[in-house]
Amino acid sequence: MSETTLGGIAGRMPKFLRRADPAVVTAFACIVVLLLLGSLYSRSFLSPEYLLQQLKVASFLGVIATGMMLVILLGQIDLSVPWSVATGAMMACAAAAYGSVGVALAIPFGVLCGVAIGLVNGIGVAYLRIPSMIITLATNAVAQGLMVVYTGGFSPQDSATAAMRYLATGFTIPGVPNAVIIWALIGAAMVFVLTRTSFGRAVYGIGNRERAAYLSGIDTRRIVLIAFAVSGGLSAFGGVLLAGYASKAAQSMGDAYLLPSIAAVVLGGTSILGGRGSYLGTVAGVILITLLQSILSVMQMPEAGRQIIYGAVIVSMLLLYGRAPASR
Amino acid sequence: MDGAAPLFRMEGISKRYGGVRALEKADLTVAAGGIHAILGENGAGKSTLIKIMAGVVAPDEGTMTLDGREVSFASPAAANQSGIVCIFQELSLIPELSVADNIVISDPPKRFGMIDRKAQRRIAEEALARAGASDIHPCALVKDLPLSRRQMVEIAKALARKPRILILDEATSALTAADVAKVFEVLKRLRSEGLALLYISHRMNEIAELADHCTVFRNGRNVASYPAGSKSDNEVVELMIGREYSHIFPPKPGPTAAATTVLEARNLSWADRLDNISLSVRAGEVVGLGGLDGQGQRELLLAFFGVLRGLSGEILIDGKPVSIASPTAASHGRIGMALIPEDRKTEGLMLPMTVRENLSFAALDRLSKGGIIDRAAEQRLIDDMVGLLAIKTAGLDIPVGALSGGNQQKVVIAKWLMRQPRIILLNDPTRGIDVGTKQELYQLMRKLADAGAAILFYSTDYDELIGCCDRVLVLYDGAVKRELVGAEITEHALIASALNIHGEGAGPRQGAGA
Repeated sequence: MSETTLGGIAGRMPKFLRRADPAVVTAFACIVVLLLLGSLYSRSFLSPEYLLQQLKVASFLGVIATGMMLVILLGQIDLSVPWSVATGAMMACAAAAYGSVGVALAIPFGVLCGVAIGLVNGIGVAYLRIPSMIITLATNAVAQGLMVVYTGGFSPQDSATAAMRYLATGFTIPGVPNAVIIWALIGAAMVFVLTRTSFGRAVYGIGNRERAAYLSGIDTRRIVLIAFAVSGGLSAFGGVLLAGYASKAAQSMGDAYLLPSIAAVVLGGTSILGGRGSYLGTVAGVILITLLQSILSVMQMPEAGRQIIYGAVIVSMLLLYGRAPASR
Repeated sequence: MDGAAPLFRMEGISKRYGGVRALEKADLTVAAGGIHAILGENGAGKSTLIKIMAGVVAPDEGTMTLDGREVSFASPAAANQSGIVCIFQELSLIPELSVADNIVISDPPKRFGMIDRKAQRRIAEEALARAGASDIHPCALVKDLPLSRRQMVEIAKALARKPRILILDEATSALTAADVAKVFEVLKRLRSEGLALLYISHRMNEIAELADHCTVFRNGRNVASYPAGSKSDNEVVELMIGREYSHIFPPKPGPTAAATTVLEARNLSWADRLDNISLSVRAGEVVGLGGLDGQGQRELLLAFFGVLRGLSGEILIDGKPVSIASPTAASHGRIGMALIPEDRKTEGLMLPMTVRENLSFAALDRLSKGGIIDRAAEQRLIDDMVGLLAIKTAGLDIPVGALSGGNQQKVVIAKWLMRQPRIILLNDPTRGIDVGTKQELYQLMRKLADAGAAILFYSTDYDELIGCCDRVLVLYDGAVKRELVGAEITEHALIASALNIHGEGAGPRQGAGA
């Protein structure tokens, strides 16, 4: 098992590294290697401007991956990310067309639409016992249909509100993009929820052994429902931010976030079977994925080649440590 | 029997699972052309013995000889090759495939690399005929057959492998009386064809009718081997109990009639597993559930804990009817129930999570304010529990899976004691743990009862029921068959009522629907 070999390596590491999850350490090491490889191609890969720009781009994925992580920790999956993102963006922009009240409520309305999608997912998984892979794929298709009906199949004409643009591109603290601050806040909240609350404990418990959690008197269905609602809401919020970034919503804006959000969570050491993983790992995974995409596009690799390398790198990194089974 | 060379012989077979000794220097000799019955209590080592014979598990030591040549089986397929075929208690058929597909599944006849359907059907028909079930169509889907027919297909499947030794492990437990008679005809014919049959059953009357030779197992050893019919039922029961096995149990307080009834069930029924069960447990009382494994004891505990859907009958707490819809409802609030589940590894614990997380998992609602865990309170309560139960662990932040079985079980119990339950349901809590820890658990159980808890305790170990319980209810086929109180709780009474034998030496009765 790779866990024992990693444990052997870890034994020779300094104490603070030994206590860290080997998968998280590996992910951060991969980030450093990627940056060094990139700097061989161009010095600008190590410039603060570039790195800050990457962090800003990463924060959209980071917000979406936060929700995905919660669902994956339960041992489930949320495939409704693409159109939860698009729905959040489109509905927020749509609300903006309804006068000043609409502008004020644009962001919460967009997020609420995502929560609604998540609630449908959660009810399907927790109460109707539909496999999450099926129900989330179905709600994704329904959300897509609803959005196509709403827009008439064209790119929506409504544009993002000033508040959305400010959140995505503005600077409250000089030098630190607002999007990064938002990701940091959401991330901090997630760490708190996962480590300090009974909800977080229950999520890990269900992910490890749902039956044991249920027999321990945990209301497992409620926890699963909430997790999916949070995931939907965060996806939609990611969409709101993206709409602010691009000034408007677009039909397929969420498509590019499904695989990366899952890959970021899993590359960060969270078990795809649930029950194991830390938020720090997800942060590393998000940055890793973002850097990889950026470096490949800066190298002006043709799209096809980029996809191949992107996929191959994810698979090989998963082979490095992603297969370690839980100790059961 | 003595003159003929034995077909198969096992000598000095031992097998351990972790620290638990399942078989200890066991011997078995099987002759061709005979039906050999194997008897023993739950956990006496019968299952391990036949798993070794069938190549499912490898023995730690000992030799097996077939036709005088030493053999060892790397897999069930290797055992099949040598002519040893086993029909296990759990059915091994694939419901979505046809009868014929199932019968030849491990070695289908082939032509040009494809399955030869004609030959397959012919083989299936022959096998079914040999099993006395030629009324089953080879092309029928297994899922369309009733349970008893499936069992016949299972036998046909075993026969299609041309066995020389056929092992039947509780193979009749799912059959109706008419089917049992049919199977017996088949088994007797197979015996006359020269097959060796090993027959494992808890039904004494079946063994009396079929067997030529019997071997009794107890605590992983074969304690007696004798020609069938040479011993009475009572003698056999005594052999199965033995006299060497004893624990130190805390003294019982004696009858205290005044205590109030805390937990009561009236006419509890569920599917075909629970049949009109009524019982009551008073505060301070330890009530045992006895009987053979799988007679509805587990379902009864799960029913109380709100796990089963579609339950009929009434559950009363403190004399008031309640509806318990989930474990959350059972454990929270006024009811205050706790269930120590059957399998601590899958139902009691989250093995990869830490000892700390597991301990506080069932009491999170009590340890948190507004959903945020009060770490200081958590630490205090955990320290109390680790001290109270003397849990041996290298630390609170190691995975609970790293602890020994006994300490894992203590964690399961401790996590429930953190809620201070008034009603404690225990589902075979001492399975697979060492004697020292067992003794601690017995004392703890009595301590909790003395403090006013009502305890319902299922155990597969009769000694425990005798040593720990104020009353024992013996279940058979989902119904309470007998209640034993105080001095009535003896090994003999427990086993006799578990096997549903009435009185001394009276004829055994078939269970309802069996």
